[in-house]
Amino acid sequence: MKIALCSSFVPFLNSGARYIVEWLEIMLVKEGHQVERVYLPEVDVPDLLFQQMAAFRWIDLSAADRVICFRPQAHLISHPHKILWFIHHLRSFYDLWDNDQYRGFPDDTKHRGLRKALHEADTSAIQEATRVFSNSRVVSDRLKQFNGVESEVLYPPVLHPERFYCHGYNDEIVCVCRLEHHKRQHLLIEAMQYTRTPVRLRLCGLSSGQDYPAYLKRLIEELNVGEKVALEERWISEQEKVEYLANCLAAAYLPVDEDSYGYPSIEASHASKALITTPDAGGVLELVQDGVNGFVAEATPKDLAAAMDKLFADKNMAARMGRNALNRIDEMNISWSHVLRRLLA
Amino acid sequence: MKVLIVNNMAPFVWGGAEELAVNLQKNLIIAGHQSEILRIPFQWEPATRIPSQMLMVRAFELANADHVIALKFPAFYIRHPNKTLWLLHQYRQAYDLYDAGQTNLPPDQTGADIRSLIRNADNETFAESRRIFTNSEVTRQRLAKYNGFDATVLLPPINDAELFVGKATGDYIFAGGRINGMKRQNMLLEALSRADSRVKLIIAGPPDVFADGEQLKETVARLGLEDRVKLDIRFLPRDTYAEYLTNAAAVAYLPFDEDSLGYVAMEAATAGKALITTSDSGGILGLVKHRETGWVADPTPEALAEAMNAVYADIAVTRAYGSSARALWHSFNIDWPNTVETLLR
Repeated sequence: MKIALCSSFVPFLNSGARYIVEWLEIMLVKEGHQVERVYLPEVDVPDLLFQQMAAFRWIDLSAADRVICFRPQAHLISHPHKILWFIHHLRSFYDLWDNDQYRGFPDDTKHRGLRKALHEADTSAIQEATRVFSNSRVVSDRLKQFNGVESEVLYPPVLHPERFYCHGYNDEIVCVCRLEHHKRQHLLIEAMQYTRTPVRLRLCGLSSGQDYPAYLKRLIEELNVGEKVALEERWISEQEKVEYLANCLAAAYLPVDEDSYGYPSIEASHASKALITTPDAGGVLELVQDGVNGFVAEATPKDLAAAMDKLFADKNMAARMGRNALNRIDEMNISWSHVLRRLLA
Repeated sequence: MKVLIVNNMAPFVWGGAEELAVNLQKNLIIAGHQSEILRIPFQWEPATRIPSQMLMVRAFELANADHVIALKFPAFYIRHPNKTLWLLHQYRQAYDLYDAGQTNLPPDQTGADIRSLIRNADNETFAESRRIFTNSEVTRQRLAKYNGFDATVLLPPINDAELFVGKATGDYIFAGGRINGMKRQNMLLEALSRADSRVKLIIAGPPDVFADGEQLKETVARLGLEDRVKLDIRFLPRDTYAEYLTNAAAVAYLPFDEDSLGYVAMEAATAGKALITTSDSGGILGLVKHRETGWVADPTPEALAEAMNAVYADIAVTRAYGSSARALWHSFNIDWPNTVETLLR
């Protein structure tokens, strides 16, 4: 089958939104399909929104047997067999509207008008789709709330999950993701001053700027936790990641209100490792059940420290939770075979 | 610098322009830049929808790129303050093919309107571009004739020069590249039947249509040349192709009136091989100088047979022609580092 995978992108910016597309591409090609990846630019400026939406509307992909659309406003593309794997709305006009800081423009007549027109255009474009999938419960709920559209949650798997394995349980809690304030590595560092066991912390990742990594380094110094915290400010190789996860005690991932469970969470689960997260982490909570496959600790240094200590003190429990984490992936049907079956149905 | 290459996409079709874009990207990265390719779907049927396809490109917003290199209509309409064109061709059906009566534009006022729309939009985008380069002299002349814009010819370098290091001087003449009537491999066989019996020939490459390959087989059988000809009719892996070329005594390439130097001739010169071509081969003559870098024969089997004999008459002379071909090629300074530098000037 000829399948076009359509998404918007910002040139030279790598993000999870690309992985879901490019990994699916690899899997579809492996299944013998012809795949064309269509990445189109989009700039989120209210005044420029509708001309760009017109551009998406003019895209002609009639050469494809079906199109699968991801990041907004790719869902505006017109095609007789359109499937959405919806990963988020233009959030400042949706769930972030009530937050003055995130909205980024005034709540006035003009922007309310734009919002209304946008919601209407989105809703009718979404209704054109043969099938609507989302990447999480949170996003499905928003599709229902704002667009009145039912959707099926289709959790995005990681590429080649079979490369993750468990080799044991050392003393480290690892957190492999971009170093950004909203990923809250600082909370984990702050937690390390309250731990009572010899548990250690390893943070790996790159940052989009220099401020946050510099802040983290200062924090490590000020709190005098350098002995038990390893901060690797770089994009570690996939092999290194596999090894860290294979050997660690558990993993931590505490983004602020993320839409989906996040790839770091399921990578850890594939390595049979428990996950520490927080009640405000958003989609991660669809995966982590407190006390079963990890801990949902309050987003405070002391509570996080307590969770780390518990895992260190009882490695049998850490191992049991790790096994539950692996089982949880099956329970939630996070697999490429499921994804392909549903998208190609 | 962040350099975005902007090209068209004919969904599910991959050709020379796509290869060129990929190699440009690769070489921008080698030169120390960041580079990505934006491929914008373009559907030119029905012709009445071409205006919407043009508007579509114009309506996209581009952020986060320092420099744009655009290759084709209508992708080159993308708006960017720092846009360089490396024009592979315009929408020829609104220009020379329109004049030749080979256009898909409707033969009425609508067609005339679309044609002037394309010309006006082209002129606007040529005027707003920082520099215009073309991939051949023919493209440059068309641009000057129809739009009145000056451009500089910037021939595409060969893509994998490292494969074309001359090896042995074998006992065969090699004719590589696409097989079709315009490339006249059949005339080479006719010539071979008139040449000395020690002259051998390898013809290798993909036929445009199945019949093109079959015709060569029939000619070989009809002329009883089985012992002196090897036909390898298929799309060759690059290293197989390079192996044939780098071990040949000389390379024959006789397209009819080609626009550019031609990859086959450029690769042969890189490998230091003497060249055989015909006086009506067009751009190739830029590289083949009679009795300096090879032989320019009249386009007849008799004249070609004479040139083929000459390859074997004094192998030291043949090798010297090959060295001169390489020297001439190098004097053009057509390599990726120079090309990248010129495009960003």
